[in-house]
Amino acid sequence: MSSRIRAQCVKELLQFRRDRLTLGLAFLLPLLSLLILGFAIRLETKDIPIVVQDLDRSPLSRSYTDRLFATDQFHPSRWRGDDPVGAIDRGRARAAVIIPPDFSRRLKAGKASTLQVLVDGTDANNARVIRNSIQATTEFFLQDQGLIATTPPVQARTRLWFNPGRKESLYIVPGVYAVVLWIFPSLLAAIAMVREKEKQTILQVYASGIGAGELLLGKGLAYLLVGGAMAGVVMGLGSLIFSVGFAGDPTPLLVGTSFYLASAVCFGLLLGVRSASQNAAVQGVSLIGFLTALLLSGFIYPVSNIPFPLSLVSAIVPARYFILISRDAYVRGIGWPGVGFDVLVVLVSGLVLFAAARRSLGAMQLDEGAGR
Amino acid sequence: MRPLRLLRSWAHRLLGTRFLALLRKEVEQILRDRQLVKLLLIPPTLQLLVYGFALNPDVRFLPLGVVDQSLGASSRELVAALTENQVFLGAAHPRSDRDLARLVERGSLTAGLVIPPTFRRDLAKGGPAEVQVFIDGVDANTAGIANGYIQQILRRFRPESAATPARPPPVTAAVTFLYNPGLRSSWFFVPGVMGLVLTLIASLVSAVSLVREKDTGTLEQLLMTPASAWEILLAKIAPLFVLLQVDVALALVLGRTVFGLPFRGNLPLFLLLSGLYLFVGIGIGTLLATVCRSQQQVLLTAFFVNLPLVQTSGAIAPIESMPLFFRSLSLLNPLRHYITIVRGMQLKGVGLEALWPHALALLLMAMALMAFSASRFRSQLS
Repeated sequence: MSSRIRAQCVKELLQFRRDRLTLGLAFLLPLLSLLILGFAIRLETKDIPIVVQDLDRSPLSRSYTDRLFATDQFHPSRWRGDDPVGAIDRGRARAAVIIPPDFSRRLKAGKASTLQVLVDGTDANNARVIRNSIQATTEFFLQDQGLIATTPPVQARTRLWFNPGRKESLYIVPGVYAVVLWIFPSLLAAIAMVREKEKQTILQVYASGIGAGELLLGKGLAYLLVGGAMAGVVMGLGSLIFSVGFAGDPTPLLVGTSFYLASAVCFGLLLGVRSASQNAAVQGVSLIGFLTALLLSGFIYPVSNIPFPLSLVSAIVPARYFILISRDAYVRGIGWPGVGFDVLVVLVSGLVLFAAARRSLGAMQLDEGAGR
Repeated sequence: MRPLRLLRSWAHRLLGTRFLALLRKEVEQILRDRQLVKLLLIPPTLQLLVYGFALNPDVRFLPLGVVDQSLGASSRELVAALTENQVFLGAAHPRSDRDLARLVERGSLTAGLVIPPTFRRDLAKGGPAEVQVFIDGVDANTAGIANGYIQQILRRFRPESAATPARPPPVTAAVTFLYNPGLRSSWFFVPGVMGLVLTLIASLVSAVSLVREKDTGTLEQLLMTPASAWEILLAKIAPLFVLLQVDVALALVLGRTVFGLPFRGNLPLFLLLSGLYLFVGIGIGTLLATVCRSQQQVLLTAFFVNLPLVQTSGAIAPIESMPLFFRSLSLLNPLRHYITIVRGMQLKGVGLEALWPHALALLLMAMALMAFSASRFRSQLS
């Protein structure tokens, strides 16, 4: 039995090595994805162009403007028109601050003055950040000018845990591993499976007397090995390029990654068994794979934000649990007590997917056997 | 009357015999293709719905743990101030600050607050009373926003018992959110996904329908007919173009009905520019088809093109926050220009006066892609 599995595995690896396109798919594309996802996904906007329309033109209003541009958060937009909404309409500025003509006069008279702030609400996440920092700047300005108490009654000593510099790559890169190591191993496995069906060589396989489980194990093992090599390359280079290192015990990641790859391969085999053609398999894997691993896994925004019916789907996405394992290994560093459960979930997902693939393949064998 | 009839017969001679025959063949082929119809309807719908619902950057109900060692009215006021605007949710009251630290460390709590026993006394003296705040920094974006909220709430906090009663600050910033007053994040993502969906579908459908002729060997026959490369290409593209406009409409309707997305621009102009973008997508597909030999190759090669195209387009993460290299690169990305147009027209309601650079970029790219693939089309067999 084990020799048949080994033979199937060796045959699959030979076939894999001969095909330049799948080789590229296995190593070039994951690296490309790592670089693009790792570098291009940044959620927090710095250096936001804003327009200040100073209708007051007094020393006080100028010092407010200076205060606004004193941090690296905002820079003056190059907009030279006199209509601040036009600048936002054309995307030349994300926000406009309008200082009213009686700004300094009212302040000196001890009366309250209101600044009008227009924020481009298109990007809701950053709109919120822009509002908060303009309001904070306004308060700092008032403190500077001695218009409100310099020391508020309550002060916080804040500690940002794990990532004190708030480097976004520390959040994104461990997530990229989950996306890449899900999509590409499953894609390769699905193509390999459906290829046998499309080229009718599956009939020869049936005739050879190999069981459904053995066939799947043989193919699965081959792509698990390929996936392991892929994981080594992607995680190794990723750690070098983005300078993320292990924060603690790496063994949960090691075990978790092998389970995760096995789960991804089984997912690919299942879709391969169920698809009629390579086109359908590739489209199915990429559509379902990208939607789940990229969107329902907490890769970009916290999973707790996913609304109700979708949150159920998200709960069974293995990538969601692997991201926790990967972020623990690279950022948190708690190790087994923190993510032991997640490693278990990934293992169970792999077993369920394997059982499903085996059942579908068995059913298909019977069908086709009976039809002939 | 006479010149008109002349024109018609001339047009008929030009289009009627060859082009119309080719067109009929393509239309019939498409109508028989159940797979294509599914491809045009199911993935776009799924993608629009999942992207629109799942990508949600709202920072709300973050679990906050509190260790209150002061146990007074003022410390309760502080906790109430932190939780009243729904950013934080009082989720746990661990016994010691060490327990609290462990919960934040594990990620069960996003933020922790320790109010020391001296809090009430310091506050009564007029402050400053110091509290300790822990924030789980793994999610840098959420951590930053959470930290901003905490600082803001603490700065404004004035306990009722304080010597100096709360006074409205002399300057307030009255913030108005333009275009999206409710800050609904789906309004940002859905137009982006619309562009993404059209890119994926247009390039895939056109590439597959062209390469299928190669796969089955009928391309040689087509090229052997007196029809020119342009006529063959155009006959292939025209029905796809019409079908893909259905996807544009589908995306608009879904955005409107499911996500309540407004449409504030000029609809005919929008359809025109979307049509232009479809040409870009079809051009990418045609190019892929001339490079690849089989359907499988097309599908896999499409990954190499579509992945960078989508990820540097600003569909998911804003372009402004990308590193300079990717920001400059994205200027060459047609999807980026199209998404700017979609967001501009749907949300901002602006027209060509603001969007002309993007429309021009799309026009140039569409022309370049179509010309290039047409020139490659005939030479690809040799």
